[in-house]
Amino acid sequence: MATAITTLTAAFNDAFAHLGESADLDRRVVVTSWPSVPVEIVRASRLRLVVAKGSTAATPLADAQLEPGLFPARLRQLVDAALAGRLAHVARIVIPRTSDPDYKCFLYLREFCRLGLAAAMAPTALFDLLQSDGAHVRRYDVERTRALVDMLADASGHRPSDGELRQEIGLTNAARAAARHLVALRRDAPRVSGKEVFPLLGAFWHVPPREYASLASQAFADLANRSPLRGPRVLLAGAPVDGIDLHAAIESRGAVVVDELSAWSGAADDDVRCDEDPIAALAEAYRRRSIGPRRPAGAMRDRAECVLDHIDAVVVSLPEDDATFGWDYPALRERLTARGLPHTVLRGDPHRPLTPADGQRLDSLVEAAERRRPSHHG
Amino acid sequence: MADKQLGVTAAASAFQKEWFAQLRHRVFEQREPYALVQADVPMELFDLVDIPAVSNQWWAALIAAKQQAAGLLDAMAADGLHDGLCRYCSLGYASMHYRGAEAPPWGGLPPPRLLCARLTCDCVHRVFSLWADACGAELVEIDHPGACEPHPQWWTLGRRRWRELVEPHRLAFTIAALEALVARLETISGRRLEPDALRARLERVNEQEEIFDEVRGLIAAAPQCPVRMTEQITNVMATQWVRGSDWALSHARAFRDEVKHRVDAGIAACPGERVRLMWVGAGLWHDTSFYTAFEASHGAVFVWSMYLAFGPDGYIRYGLDDPMAALASRTASFNEYLHNPPWAPEWIAHQAKAHRIDGALVLRPRSMKPSATGRLFIERALERVGVPVLPIEGDVVDARAWNPAAARAAVRTFLDERVSA
Repeated sequence: MATAITTLTAAFNDAFAHLGESADLDRRVVVTSWPSVPVEIVRASRLRLVVAKGSTAATPLADAQLEPGLFPARLRQLVDAALAGRLAHVARIVIPRTSDPDYKCFLYLREFCRLGLAAAMAPTALFDLLQSDGAHVRRYDVERTRALVDMLADASGHRPSDGELRQEIGLTNAARAAARHLVALRRDAPRVSGKEVFPLLGAFWHVPPREYASLASQAFADLANRSPLRGPRVLLAGAPVDGIDLHAAIESRGAVVVDELSAWSGAADDDVRCDEDPIAALAEAYRRRSIGPRRPAGAMRDRAECVLDHIDAVVVSLPEDDATFGWDYPALRERLTARGLPHTVLRGDPHRPLTPADGQRLDSLVEAAERRRPSHHG
Repeated sequence: MADKQLGVTAAASAFQKEWFAQLRHRVFEQREPYALVQADVPMELFDLVDIPAVSNQWWAALIAAKQQAAGLLDAMAADGLHDGLCRYCSLGYASMHYRGAEAPPWGGLPPPRLLCARLTCDCVHRVFSLWADACGAELVEIDHPGACEPHPQWWTLGRRRWRELVEPHRLAFTIAALEALVARLETISGRRLEPDALRARLERVNEQEEIFDEVRGLIAAAPQCPVRMTEQITNVMATQWVRGSDWALSHARAFRDEVKHRVDAGIAACPGERVRLMWVGAGLWHDTSFYTAFEASHGAVFVWSMYLAFGPDGYIRYGLDDPMAALASRTASFNEYLHNPPWAPEWIAHQAKAHRIDGALVLRPRSMKPSATGRLFIERALERVGVPVLPIEGDVVDARAWNPAAARAAVRTFLDERVSA
């Protein structure tokens, strides 16, 4: 029998994998490459968001077209699906400006169509939300978010009013509140493992907000009475993860991942405040919050800083395709050293089994964290 | 490095060394501000308010060419910066942050007043933020709006129809970003940038690039290539960094005249030229003799690189009634044309045909991820127009994993088996 936990976990895991199975269902779907497209706008347009996820599934069609070592697994999966015709019937493919590889992915998808390399692919658009600072950036972002509304209205045949957008923001804020309850179970003495709760948070992007709020509340009730987990508490930093393989590898060694720097767990961010223009409110919220390589270094540092008082160790994932987060590492290392927090760097593909070297690093880290861990934890 | 064949090449090198010495004098002795900038930043704006600007890529290339990069690269690795991070954009930062790891060329960079970068690749914000912190300098960022509807044959629109080439929202954004930059520059320098002065400068830039267009045409049409690629680069880039200045225009003309003289006199860079090669990507700055290594054995001469060819197609903007808009139209997509589809494969294949290219070497840079993307499209576009391609794995500033003998052997095999056969 399905529980709230299994329902949410399946929604997180399976939404992208099911694309291409039903043209009728796909016609209401907007596919994106990262959870940095305002889900509120997608839903107010009477469409459904599905975010591509990385995995170890083979991507032969993408491998023939994408240079190795440059694109994260989620983009390889998305391109493979597009070239295989699995995205032929979706309403739109919307690629956000989350990273340079995402932007290149957009250009590549357009080029596949121009060159006739993709027989059937839904129209592809760029959501060019910039994340730097400045009044002209914020004006531009509002304009591009309005363009997103227009584009999705063309796709769905329904243009949401400001009132509908406000209502969707309100519903989604309620879903965020439910997600925050789940996150509270990770704080201090965690009652839920990272590999279990990350999919529950990630499902926020795939499940309608009323349903999500209800399921997340049930999941919270199921989890809240569990005994605290006893392992050292780990922050997963570096390149943002989109799956639970690293969580599982860390937790199989007795630690607990209590936070990760990923847009997927942005479900639990603060509410989107909407005083006047809902489109401007969403543009600003997603500009400031979306975690990815284009988020300014200072904002990423602040995001990590706020959890350092509540953890025992840090795992920094810097896979082969990383071009960004490695630059943050020396400063992060200094801050961790100053606090006496042990850390390690993993260079492997986060979706694949740990390399022996990474496994040894992780073993050593968990041992060090155990030695350091205050007795009051758990 | 092969002997220089053109008189102007020595003049260009001497000018750069003198310019840098003057910069150090102005900063250290006269306490004047200067800027460290990415190569794609519109340097004209800095010059017009009398703030000298040093190109990050030029400085990195100089360090590599002087074989002074290895110690800096080792220091970066020792500091935990993994080997997948871009070394081209960060070598200059390393030269200031890891002082003592390696003696920098020409006395080293003086401390800048500000840094400025377009946020093209994801790493740029990181590298320049670290650099600004290391120097205690201000950082001005110009974000890079993405192209939603790219024009494949961009070079046919850039000169006169640039308002069609760049989507209105991108153009408006880039104008606003450049105006914000100008406001900072005016505050720092205490000088006003007048629109008429900008218009006049862009007219002179057009004039300079028209001269380069002549040179490109001379090289493309001549029976044998009159000037080696390495000397093309030295002469072109020395002028591009100070484009539109008196010296730049004068030097561009001198370069054009010497090339024309060689064409008229039937002087070839490689007498007995049999194979015309194209280099796609940034230069192998640590091993520039690579580019002349196949002249004696195969009569193979590198005819084309982006450095000369991009000048006329990338810079010229006619219709300067709104000079800031014209400049923004040049800035908005600038280096995308060199790497990304659909722009780069279309242009490079077009250039290969125009230059009667027999074979292309396409750089696969190890750490420069944004430059490494798009290369499969470029390689296939070249093959489609009948140009065989040899991918070259290498880094433009990091020679530590570069095997010169193996690379040369691979090229000789390529020439024997795919080009000359």
